[in-house]
Amino acid sequence: MNQRTRVLLFFLLNFFIFGFSQQKFTLSGTITEASSNETLIGVTIAVPSLRTGVTTNEYGFYSLTLPEGEYQIQVSYLGFQDIIQTVSLTENKKINLQLVEKAEQLEEVVVTEDVEKMDIRTPQMSVNTLSVETIKKIPVILGEADVIKSILLLPGVTNAGEGASGFNVRGGAVDQNLILLDEAIIFNSSHLFGFFSVFNPDAIKDIKLYKGGIPARYGGRVSSVLDIFQKEGNSKEIKVNGGIGAVASRLLVEGPIVKDKAAFLVAGRGSYAHLFLPLFDQDNTAYFYDLNTKLSYNINDKNSIYLSGYFGRDVFGINDSFVNTYGNSVGNFRWNHLFSDKLFSNLSVIYSDYYYGLKLDFVGFDWNSGIQNFNVKYDLKHYINDKLQVNYGVNNIYYSFNPGKIEPSNAESGIIEDQLTKKFANEFAAYVDVEHDITDNLSLGYGLRFSNFIRLGQDALNVYQNDNPVIFDPFLLVYQEAEPIETVDTRGGGNLATFNNFEPRASLSYTINDNSSVKASYTRLAQYLHLLSNTSSPTPLDVWTPSGPFTKPQLLDQYALGFFKNIKEGDYSIETEVFYKDIQNRIDYIDGANLIANDAIETVILNGEARAYGLEFLLRKNTGKFQGWLAYTLSKSEQRTPERVSSVDNGRSNLETGINFGEWYNTPYDKTHDISLFASYDLNEKWSFNTNFVYQTGQPTNYPVGQFEFQGLAVPYYGLRNTERLPDYHRIDVSATLTPRKNKGRNFKGEWVFSVYNLYSRRNAASINFRRNVDTGVNEAVRTSIFGIVPAVTYNFKF
Amino acid sequence: MKKIFSIFCLTLLFLGCEDVVDIDTPVTPPRLFIDALLRLDINETTTTIRVEAGTTSSFFDAVNPAELTNISLLNVDYEPSSALDQNFVVFSEVSPGVYEGSKSTNFFTSGELQLFIEHEGQRYLARTEYVPGSPISSLEQGDDTLFSGNETEVEISFEDNGERDDFYLLDLDFGDYLVTEDEFYNGQTFNFSYFYDEEVEAGTEINISILGVDEQFYNYMNQITVQAEGDQGPFQTPSATVRGNIINITNIDNINSFDNVEDSNNFALGYFAVCQTFSDSIIIE
Repeated sequence: MNQRTRVLLFFLLNFFIFGFSQQKFTLSGTITEASSNETLIGVTIAVPSLRTGVTTNEYGFYSLTLPEGEYQIQVSYLGFQDIIQTVSLTENKKINLQLVEKAEQLEEVVVTEDVEKMDIRTPQMSVNTLSVETIKKIPVILGEADVIKSILLLPGVTNAGEGASGFNVRGGAVDQNLILLDEAIIFNSSHLFGFFSVFNPDAIKDIKLYKGGIPARYGGRVSSVLDIFQKEGNSKEIKVNGGIGAVASRLLVEGPIVKDKAAFLVAGRGSYAHLFLPLFDQDNTAYFYDLNTKLSYNINDKNSIYLSGYFGRDVFGINDSFVNTYGNSVGNFRWNHLFSDKLFSNLSVIYSDYYYGLKLDFVGFDWNSGIQNFNVKYDLKHYINDKLQVNYGVNNIYYSFNPGKIEPSNAESGIIEDQLTKKFANEFAAYVDVEHDITDNLSLGYGLRFSNFIRLGQDALNVYQNDNPVIFDPFLLVYQEAEPIETVDTRGGGNLATFNNFEPRASLSYTINDNSSVKASYTRLAQYLHLLSNTSSPTPLDVWTPSGPFTKPQLLDQYALGFFKNIKEGDYSIETEVFYKDIQNRIDYIDGANLIANDAIETVILNGEARAYGLEFLLRKNTGKFQGWLAYTLSKSEQRTPERVSSVDNGRSNLETGINFGEWYNTPYDKTHDISLFASYDLNEKWSFNTNFVYQTGQPTNYPVGQFEFQGLAVPYYGLRNTERLPDYHRIDVSATLTPRKNKGRNFKGEWVFSVYNLYSRRNAASINFRRNVDTGVNEAVRTSIFGIVPAVTYNFKF
Repeated sequence: MKKIFSIFCLTLLFLGCEDVVDIDTPVTPPRLFIDALLRLDINETTTTIRVEAGTTSSFFDAVNPAELTNISLLNVDYEPSSALDQNFVVFSEVSPGVYEGSKSTNFFTSGELQLFIEHEGQRYLARTEYVPGSPISSLEQGDDTLFSGNETEVEISFEDNGERDDFYLLDLDFGDYLVTEDEFYNGQTFNFSYFYDEEVEAGTEINISILGVDEQFYNYMNQITVQAEGDQGPFQTPSATVRGNIINITNIDNINSFDNVEDSNNFALGYFAVCQTFSDSIIIE
């Protein structure tokens, strides 16, 4: 019996000890919103007399096991009226409760409180929650409320600036974020090269971002988990809401199919075709659309099922000669089943696919690529008693990668049809995750995830001399692609590589007093998929590749320590954390690597390492007319790829230089200082104002250290990687929301949102390029900035 | 494919705006660079090779010609045709930093060519071999445009050799270069459109050349053209020193193992390559 099995056994023993030691009864149920029957996530059910409590899970379910007796329970959720109820617990009881929004009940000044109240007691740390209400308040470019742009205002989260897709968490890469939409993995979170995110805020209930201390039920990405929950649909009455904006319009319809039992939700969003019409001539199009659908059916007390779907596409075309289409589609079936009032289960069957297509008629080809994955998950939440909750489950994902298929686009094209080798893989994981209150002051979270990744056989696998696909030329001092010595067909014939990883997770919370606590966590995570991207911001063209014979899985160790304090009964909160993380096997690209349509990607990548460390500070004001937060992050993010120690040749070892001479260098997402401020102020019933300010140290880049001439070209030449920085990035955005008074007492409610992005029109550099001016023959540095000041008006309505 | 990628960047640039800014670039000591690309027309009986040597400047200054203390080109596999013939080329300086030497064309088309250079007490060596290319089948002017609506389209087609894995460098005049490989059109007639950024005046003659290159030089040109054009936009790849094949051999002790790792930062920029070249021209209407 090895060490790990012993740890597992310890967990299991724990269940029994706590499970059968006392005569207890269980109080369980579901908490929903009164007006729509929408389940509520993270509602606190507290038993003040025992100083204990529980929060509802992702499906609104709670379970609390207490000794026999009479208790007063307090159900609270910020923004909603508290419910205080006396329960006589002499048998197992099921109590479903409905909460009423405060604003709706009190016909007075609207003071909605943030739901993102901090729980100082739970060992879970490094997590930020944003409600869709907050997301909608944050002023954004062109007035389109945006999930991804909102989380950029949180500490430890940045991106490469305007028009850059994805986000970076705690110095991690964009491909290290696990983005889940109703438990389905989303591979590309951006529309229009990053100007908008693919999530329609109207259809979203809640988002949660884990930056560290990631629970064992999550795995597969090393930096963060962005867990997004879609609404289930209103099972009481038909509701419509929508918005008309400068760029896109959206419409959501939800309502009952069977009253109080089954509901549907359909939400569509589309940008106007010819979005950038003035910039091109009239043959050009650029638009996106997405569609969210959901059916939920509450069969009985013990069973609920959900069907959800997402379909989004971006279409970008110039004449007929250049057409680019890409997007995600996701289909998802879930079944919640209660085995007992203490054992909640969820089965998810998910299909998701990411498609990328490109037609380039002037070169004569069509290009199609994508990833498909088929995912089955079974998760159980076992509420053993008020001190102990155990989550466990299994998960299997089958992946099929199509790196690209090229076809001639017209009869005259000289292009020969070619399919880049498809790749296949299977990822299995099983986990146990325990939330354990040891004493009144000490809570622990501990768990273990076991993951197994198998790279399955494929049509053509390149074989290299000494298994080395990248060779170093000690004379020229450059890394070069090796020529395969043979190509073998391994389809159906065995696995190419198998990886097993045990990923322990541990976290601890010690409450110093009612309002402050200290937390610590350790996380190990394995990531088996890699996004091939050597640009400063990913493009939709970037392809994902699975770990295999030449590419090892990324392994993360993260340590975090934090101090948390609620001030004035939670009116204010302070969160401070320090973190250190270390990633093994971060792939890096040899200089001049061509990743596009490269069928032998192993010949241009080397295994390196990455590390990041930093300090985060978040001060929030959670209640009142004036709300908001101030976030500051001080951090460092670096990577390196040292020389490999390879075989001995001619009596001397084959020396290499490594990438960047093997030195640590700043990752493109290393931002030393990152300050975000968000403030919202409700002046009166009619007007509310929001603003945000962002300041970030400039993104690492290179400036030429000199120039030379070659064949008439003036060529800047560069030194080590990422030694310089772009100018610092900062901007202020403001918005004002006008809710006309006539809304009062009628069904149709409308509001106007006026916003100004980049108020002082700072020309933040997306890049600085060095080139010779063709007309003047003079060398110059050219700054590219994406947006200056952008005013916009959006009209939102609901009825 | 690389070029296609820059289309995205271009597209984004349309959304954004550009302006010229003052940037202080780092200053480093001057470094030797060599431009020794021989565009070989094998139909000629004799060929003159021209080598330009200079030292680098900071990005906003002008480069300086370099005075070489020695330059010679050796073909180690060449068998002299007569007692007067030799297996090396003698160079003479024709203007500051510019060296020329002539030899029969077949001297260049087979065998390993070694270019030796001495500059300020440092010795450099570059090795290369002749690379065959493919002739241009046709050049035609088209009337399509791409983004701005006033580009000039030229349709280029050439016949790829199906027997080889080919890499090409296209010199499209006006300092425009393009690299392409035949992975997706091996053995085919490949035609594509090239769009000149601005409207080219009627009557202008555009000279277009196709050079056969090896993979290493293809990678080199791919990187330096991207860096020289400076149009990478927001999706730029990390810019790193692009090493050519001019290697400092001053401290190399063992001729069988050109292992230079210990002194890896001591090198010259530039490239030595011998490429079969086919040229054609088109007069814009």
